[in-house]
Amino acid sequence: MANKLGEWIEDRTGLSKLLKVMLDEPVHGGAKWSYIFGSGLVFLFILQAATGIFMASYYSPSSTAAWGSVYYLQHKASFGWFVRGLHHFGSSAMMVVAIAHMFQVFIFGAYKKPRELNWISGVILLLFLAGFGLTGYLLPWDQKGYWATQVATNIMGTVPLIGKYIKILHQGGSDYGNFTITRFYTLHVFLLPLSLIFFLFIHIALFRKHGVTPYWKMKEDVIRNHVDPFWPDQIFKDVVFALGIYAVLAGIVFWTGGAELQAPADPASNYLARPEWYFLFLFELLKYCQGNYLIVGTVIIPTLALAFLIVLPFIDRNISRYPSKRIPFFVAIFSGWAGAVVLTLLAMHHDSKDIHIIQQREEAEKQAARAIKLADKGIPPTGALSIFLHDPITLGEKIFKESCNGCHMLRGEGGENGPDFTNFGSREWIVGLLKNPKDKKYFKESGMMPPVKLPDESLLDMAEFLLSQSAGLINQNAERVERGKELVLKGNCVVCHPMGNKDLKKMAPNLTEYLSETWLKEFIRNPADPKFYGTRNKMPAFDKFTDSQLDALIQYLFSLSKDRDLVSEKQGTGRQRYVFIPTFPQISVNFKGKS
Amino acid sequence: MENNRRRFLKIASHSLGGILAAGIAAPLVGLGIHPLLKETVYGTEDFINLGKLEDFPVGVPKKINVTSSKMDAWNVFEGLVMGSVWVLRKEDNSINVFSVNCPHLGCGINWGEEEKQFLCPCHGGVFDMSGKVISGPPPRGLYSYDTKIQNNSVLVNYNKLI
Repeated sequence: MANKLGEWIEDRTGLSKLLKVMLDEPVHGGAKWSYIFGSGLVFLFILQAATGIFMASYYSPSSTAAWGSVYYLQHKASFGWFVRGLHHFGSSAMMVVAIAHMFQVFIFGAYKKPRELNWISGVILLLFLAGFGLTGYLLPWDQKGYWATQVATNIMGTVPLIGKYIKILHQGGSDYGNFTITRFYTLHVFLLPLSLIFFLFIHIALFRKHGVTPYWKMKEDVIRNHVDPFWPDQIFKDVVFALGIYAVLAGIVFWTGGAELQAPADPASNYLARPEWYFLFLFELLKYCQGNYLIVGTVIIPTLALAFLIVLPFIDRNISRYPSKRIPFFVAIFSGWAGAVVLTLLAMHHDSKDIHIIQQREEAEKQAARAIKLADKGIPPTGALSIFLHDPITLGEKIFKESCNGCHMLRGEGGENGPDFTNFGSREWIVGLLKNPKDKKYFKESGMMPPVKLPDESLLDMAEFLLSQSAGLINQNAERVERGKELVLKGNCVVCHPMGNKDLKKMAPNLTEYLSETWLKEFIRNPADPKFYGTRNKMPAFDKFTDSQLDALIQYLFSLSKDRDLVSEKQGTGRQRYVFIPTFPQISVNFKGKS
Repeated sequence: MENNRRRFLKIASHSLGGILAAGIAAPLVGLGIHPLLKETVYGTEDFINLGKLEDFPVGVPKKINVTSSKMDAWNVFEGLVMGSVWVLRKEDNSINVFSVNCPHLGCGINWGEEEKQFLCPCHGGVFDMSGKVISGPPPRGLYSYDTKIQNNSVLVNYNKLI
C-alpha cells in the first residue's frame, strides 16, 4: 500500500529523482569538516525562519502594542522566552558562522576564477544578515532597540544628497512612530527573507556548478580521483555541526534566560544607545570621525571596505591559491579584520569603565524590571508607556516633591532642614548616619545621638542588620546580619532605641522593623509619637495622606535606595516571578493559570 | 567496508537529524499551542462589584450595568461594560441577581411596575419576583447569578449562569 502510494507520487512528481539530483553531488577531494560553515548557515537560516514565523503569531507591529506583545511572548507564552532566545542568539550565531565561512572561503582562495560571482553573492548575503540584525533590533520597541536604531537611521541620513530621503523612507516619516515599526517589520519578515532566499539560491546554484574548492596543497589527481558522495559523507558532517550549533544555542538561551527586554521605548528619556555587538566596531569608528568627518565613518570607510570585498576576485587574479602567493590580500583582509576587532574591544572597554554608563545601565535595568512588573497587571490600550502612569513610584515622586523635598534634599536639590534623602535607606546611608549623626547630610546640630565609633566593617554589619528588618534588601548577607544584630543589641544602641517590641518607648526612635513599610507609615503619620521622636520631634505630621498616597510615597522612598529590590514588592499577584537575570525557572511561569 | 561506513553515516545522519528536528519542533509546538494551555482573554475579577447594598431599594428590581475589566493577552481594558443584570434586594437584605435575557429565546425582559412581574416583550413570558415562570412559553425560570455581599457591597459572579 505504502509502496503503491510512493510509486504513485513518484510517477506524478518525480520527487525521488529530484532528491537524487539534490543529494548526489560529487565532492571532489572528499568530504571535509572545513566545508561545514555554508550548510551551517543554511541550517541557521531555517531555524531563524521557523522561530521567526512562530514569534510572528504573537507579535503586533505598532508603537502602542509592540512592546506589550513581546512582553507577553517573553514572560507569559509557553516557551516564548526560549523561542525568542533562540532567534536572538541565532542571529549572533549567523554572524559568527558567516564570518567563519567567509574566512574559510578566503583562506582557501575559493573566490578566484571561476567563482567570482559565488563570492560576490556571498558578500551580498552578508549585507542582508546585517540588515536582518538592524531591523530586528527595533521590533520589540524597547528602549534598547529604539535608541540604537535612532543612531542607525541618523547614519542613513548622513549619506550625501539622498540621505534625507533614505532616512524618511525607512522611518516612514520624519520621526519614529507606527510606520517605523510597520516598515521595519515588512523589511524584516518579508523583503529581507525573500531577497536572502533569492541570493541564497544563486549562491548555492553557483556552488553546485563549480563544486568545492579543496585544500590548496591537494594534488590534482587526488581531487580528480577521490570523490565522496554529498549524501551521506558530507551531510553527516553538516548534521553534526548543525546539532552542535543548536546545542550551544539552546545552552546559551537556558543559561541567560533568553533575550532581554528593556523598558518600553520612551522618546522623552535619556537612554544609552548601543547597537548589537556585531555593529559595535562601526559605532566605535564614529567616535573618531568628528565634525565634518562624520561621513568618513558612516559612509566612506564602510563603502570602501565593501567595495574591496566585491572587487577582491578581480584584483587577486593569480591562479595559485597558496597563501604565500597572496600575502598582500591576506594583509589587507586580516588588518581590516583586526581593525574591526580592536574597535569592538575598545567600545566594550570604554563602556565597562565609564561610571556614568554603568550607572545609566543600572538605572535602565531597574526601569526594565519595573516595567515587567507593572505589565503583569496588563497594559492599557493607550500603549506600553502608560503602565508608568499608574505606577505608585511615579505618583510617590510627585508627593515627595510637593511635601518632603522642601526639607529633605535629594540629589543636590531641596531644603536642608531634615536629613538628605539621596540614597535614602541604603547601606551607605545608614553607615553615614551611624558615623556622624551631626553631619550636615543628617541631623546637623540637632543630632543628639553620639557617633558610633566602630570600624567601617562593623558599621556595615549594623546597617545590614537594621535594613534586614524590612523586606527587599538586595544581596542580604546572613553573617553580617548576625554580627550586626550582636553589635546593635549588645552595644549602646538599645540604651536609647527600643528594639524588638514595636510599642516600647525610650528616648530615641523605636528601631523595631526599622524602615519597613509599617514603620515608615507610622513615622510619617506621626513622627512626634513617643515611640519615635516624642517631644524632640521637628518634622510635621503628615496625617492627611490617604493610604494609597502614603503607599506610593513609601514605594518611592524605597526606590531611592540602590540596595532595595523593588521587584519583590508584596502587592505582586504572585503569578509572575521576574528575576534580574532570568534563569531556568521561568518555565514554571508559563503553565500557571490565571489567578 | 566502504558500504558499511556509508550505511552507518546514513543511519547516523537520519538519527541526529531527527533529534535536531525534534529539539527544534518541541518548543515551537509548545509556543504554538499556548492558547490551549492558558487563558488569553478573560475577565480580571470573579466577583464583580455592582454597588452598595443601600443603592438597591427593597422589593423593587433595579437594572444595572456590569462593569469590569478584561485582559486580552498583554492588554487590560478597564471599565468595560460587560452587560447588565436585574438586581432584587429582598426584605431580609439577601440579593437575587437575574439575567436580563429571557430563558425562552433571549429577549431582554422588563420589570412591570404595576404588575410586579418580569415581562418578556417578545413572546409574552411572565415571571414573578423570584424569577419563576408564571405564564407564557419560557421553559424555565429566569437565569440568575451567584452573588455575595461583602463589606456592604453587592458582588456578582458574572461568569456563570445558574
